[in-house]
Amino acid sequence: MADVNHAANKKAGLAQLQKNRRKSFWKEQTKGYLFFLPAAVILLMFVFYPIIWTFLVSFREVRPMEMRNTGLFEMPGQFVGLNQYIEIFHNPLFIKAMVNTLYFGTIYIPLTLVSAALLAVLLNQKLKGVNFFRTVIFIPYIISVVSASLIFLFLFNGDRGLINAVLLKFDLTGPNWLAHSLLAMPVIAIMSAWKKVGYFMLIYLAGLQNISHSLYESAKIDGANAFQRFWYITWPLLGRITLVVSVLLMIDTLNVFQEVYVMTGGGPGDSTTTVPFLIFNEAFVYFRMGPASAMSYVLFVVVIIITVLQKRAVDKRLG
Amino acid sequence: MINKLRQYGLVLFLWFVSLIFLVPLYWLFVSSVKSDAEITRFPPTFWPENFHWSNFVEVWSRLNFTQTFMNSIIVSTSTTILIVIFSTMAAYALSKKRIIGRNMILLVLVGTMTVPPTALLLPLYFIITKMGMYDTLISLILPFGVTVFGIFFMKQYMDDVPDELIEAARMDGCGDVRIFLQIIVPLVKPALVTLVLIEFVNNWNSFTMPLVLLQSESKYTLPLRLGLLASENVALPWSQILAANLLTIIPVVVLFLLLQKQFIKGIMEGAVKG
Repeated sequence: MADVNHAANKKAGLAQLQKNRRKSFWKEQTKGYLFFLPAAVILLMFVFYPIIWTFLVSFREVRPMEMRNTGLFEMPGQFVGLNQYIEIFHNPLFIKAMVNTLYFGTIYIPLTLVSAALLAVLLNQKLKGVNFFRTVIFIPYIISVVSASLIFLFLFNGDRGLINAVLLKFDLTGPNWLAHSLLAMPVIAIMSAWKKVGYFMLIYLAGLQNISHSLYESAKIDGANAFQRFWYITWPLLGRITLVVSVLLMIDTLNVFQEVYVMTGGGPGDSTTTVPFLIFNEAFVYFRMGPASAMSYVLFVVVIIITVLQKRAVDKRLG
Repeated sequence: MINKLRQYGLVLFLWFVSLIFLVPLYWLFVSSVKSDAEITRFPPTFWPENFHWSNFVEVWSRLNFTQTFMNSIIVSTSTTILIVIFSTMAAYALSKKRIIGRNMILLVLVGTMTVPPTALLLPLYFIITKMGMYDTLISLILPFGVTVFGIFFMKQYMDDVPDELIEAARMDGCGDVRIFLQIIVPLVKPALVTLVLIEFVNNWNSFTMPLVLLQSESKYTLPLRLGLLASENVALPWSQILAANLLTIIPVVVLFLLLQKQFIKGIMEGAVKG
């Protein structure tokens, strides 16, 4: 009898213990989620909902006035399936915007990447004034795109800019840079490179400083010469960073908007109209929500593809 | 000997590179203090004939800079405060609390970092309008009150805080709020400072969101005011536009120069771990 009682007590005790444990488990969960709650609310409302909203609206034709009467959680307009995706790929301006973006990238990406890597290798040495050089090269990064755009707008001004004044010293007549359909985009690319080089240089520097000296020391002992040390130690690491940096540069390229808005307004002609600039115009100048959303999703998908490809490449190199 | 020559050559080269980076800023300064007559001349003078400091005073009143400046300060400061608080709290939950679906949440958060900013303009405009926040400064603060970058940045630091420390505190009867405020926050202070710097500068420089979400001039922030100067064709001499630009740049550059060590360290550490 006593034994049975004891067993029952033990069972009840165990159940109680488990219940307590479960209770404290859920208490832990609740507390954890409470800490995450403010961030979650903001992200759900202003990041996740917008991503879904854009996706749904990209399949709908919305007349400008229809936005007005739509509730916060309603979708405006009529469902039209893939029509708008088909339409934007028949839109010559969209194709032009992609070509322009490519033009920007072919100047901006190599220029920034090579300068950043080169400067990082140079500034990774023990030199007098190394911190001064690093600081000077990094300063443009903290200046806003708008401010930088205004400075370069004036630097490359056709009839009072510094660039043309310097060219004049060499008896050259400079063009009106930003009014020239082939030269406007390179100017924007050069400005972006000027602004961003310092940032990517720091990323390279961080990578270089992560290589421990003992690696070089033991390579030396094993009889590796300077070239071998570079080829087998520095280069693989730089290569990995280069992959990451090149993806970040590609994403930068796909996001060029403010500099175009301030410096050229997409012109001359359509020569500096980029995809984000076109999206902005479609949405806020012509109030065509559907095509703007469809273009946004095409852009989004391209960014995702680039990111995934990069991750694969990095894994492959490391694996 | 050859080594020394190489060294001198290198330093000379770096001076040349530094000049390239400094010339646009030099030109900004020189042009902003020229007279209206001098700035329209070609070829331009490389050093101003006389310094027109009055450009700064004039443009300040013309563009209603006191209010614009205040708007920028209000928006940047409030947003930064929210980001720091909410991102740090979220990072604590994701780093130290074994919440269900943690890996899933982290994965989704990483995914949102690939969304192009322009793709969010239209839906944000729609949502802000429907919530009745259009053309208010709150529309520039609340929706941006947490950044995924901030969450990851803080989480990386917190992952290095040993769990034993938290267990010990729990034994002593500390609740989560006290653990968070009295153990975690002091330990991740350097990261917090860096996050404040980065987010303040980001928000100070923000242009696209104010462009979409603001309408009345009394609400304008500095980059919006400046960005519209070029496209609105306001009849303002270039010297004054550049003076306004210089006034906008000075606060962040001063902030950077004062705290550059922290800044650079933060960005480099973020780069290595990220």
